[in-house]
Amino acid sequence: MENKDKSNMGRDVIFRIKRFDGEKSYWSDFVVPAQKGMTVLEGLYYIKGTYDGSLSFRASCRMGICGSCAMKINDKPRLACETQILQLNSSKIKIEPLDNFRVLKDLITDFEGFFAKHEAVKPYLIRKDDNYAEPVELIQKPEELHAYYDFTLCIKCGACFSVCPAAATRDDYLGPAAMAAAYRFNIDTRDEGRDERMFMVCSDVGVWRCHFAAECSEVCPKNIEPAKAIQKLRFQAAVHMIKKALKRW
Amino acid sequence: MDLLKWFEVRGKSLFYISYSLHRITGLILVLYLVMHLSYLTSLRFGEEIYESFIATTVTPTFLIFDILLVLVGVYHGVNGLRLILHEFGLAYDVRRPILYLSYFLVLVLWLYASYKLYVFIVGV
Amino acid sequence: MAEELHTRKVLEPLGWILQLLTGLLLAILITFHFFETHLIAHDALAFENVIARLTDPAHKVMYGLLLASVSFHAFNGLRAILLDTEFGARNTKAINILIVLVILGAFIYGLGLLFTF
Ligand code: SF4
Ligand code: FES
Repeated sequence: MENKDKSNMGRDVIFRIKRFDGEKSYWSDFVVPAQKGMTVLEGLYYIKGTYDGSLSFRASCRMGICGSCAMKINDKPRLACETQILQLNSSKIKIEPLDNFRVLKDLITDFEGFFAKHEAVKPYLIRKDDNYAEPVELIQKPEELHAYYDFTLCIKCGACFSVCPAAATRDDYLGPAAMAAAYRFNIDTRDEGRDERMFMVCSDVGVWRCHFAAECSEVCPKNIEPAKAIQKLRFQAAVHMIKKALKRW
Repeated sequence: MDLLKWFEVRGKSLFYISYSLHRITGLILVLYLVMHLSYLTSLRFGEEIYESFIATTVTPTFLIFDILLVLVGVYHGVNGLRLILHEFGLAYDVRRPILYLSYFLVLVLWLYASYKLYVFIVGV
Repeated sequence: MAEELHTRKVLEPLGWILQLLTGLLLAILITFHFFETHLIAHDALAFENVIARLTDPAHKVMYGLLLASVSFHAFNGLRAILLDTEFGARNTKAINILIVLVILGAFIYGLGLLFTF
């Protein structure tokens, strides 16, 4: 009756998913009736509910906030909950777990190490006068806030780490997200813990492993530009270490 | 091997491809440096031997290698200048135009140098 | 893993900065070197001309600089590549020592040639 635009009507899309059951990996194909606005994550839920309850993936917020659902969709790491099926413009969608992480089951990868690296750079304010009984207000100017604000938006999704060539060949490399976090706190005017943080940042697993492939900035769903943070951080680190060495003389 | 991941460029951007190429060209240049330095030892053996080396390597047949080597060198040089700029923390926000510009520069410099080499060795 | 990392690693930032600086220098010197040997004079590679350049003091300085920066840049780059791997992570010290020796070796070998003529 009404004149419906065909692109709005939805169509069947094949999901080609890389599976892993603990021993062997294999591919499974499922047909998903995609509607306009439907996300890849919804497609995965549809498959889990309709065809195969054993399909495993991580997700929580469904709105790009928790960072659980990053996976490789058509060769690029993306958030499944923020990627619309029809916008991918292909009749077949290839879905794989993130690279550079150990696969536990299907699309679920092991994030223990990734979070441990985050923790290792001490991503919190360190102050000498910490007094939780009588907290004082820490004043900061808007410019000082804007200097680091963008880097606070990281949701620890691991997309950056999954494309980093240094992370690909060294398990212990801190990776883009952790170093962006280190930089974010280093340039926070309220922070006094730069020395402590630099300990990890300057180490063999820190800034010296980055050679500006800059792919992390390309794939980050929050556009926080980890590559930029690392370049600035490395400069900081070099100055820091040389100063330290000169002082000891 | 894990190392092949450095060259896994499917789904990656031109930034990553540049990184892969920088690695490969760098390794080629290290090999060339070793060859070039060893070659110079022929100078010690006097004019005859040196000239015979030159006579075999500076020839039209070797021109194709020369031209490829120039490409490798020019690429590593221009891309390297781009990396130096960014690694000093500069011009990050215009990294995309700079990337395209660097590829354009590589092409222009390479064609120019190859043409000159051709004239030099084959002689027009 | 972090304990022994900090203090004796001043070489890391120096290596990084020198890699960038020698890179800049090489871009200039190699362009010049290439022009001089391939694009200007047709007989630039003839024996007497090579020897003449090698004996000229200004050229000696230039070649010395080129030699030093290229040895460093090439093998320090190789070091970075090696240290990016798990193998490098396990053998960091050996690789560092080996690379320093190779850099010195290449430099001394080249200087030997420079001073013979
Ligand atoms: S930096 Fe970006 S890509 Fe990396 S974990 Fe944070 S949000 Fe994800
Ligand atoms: S489900 Fe939380 S970011 Fe996608």
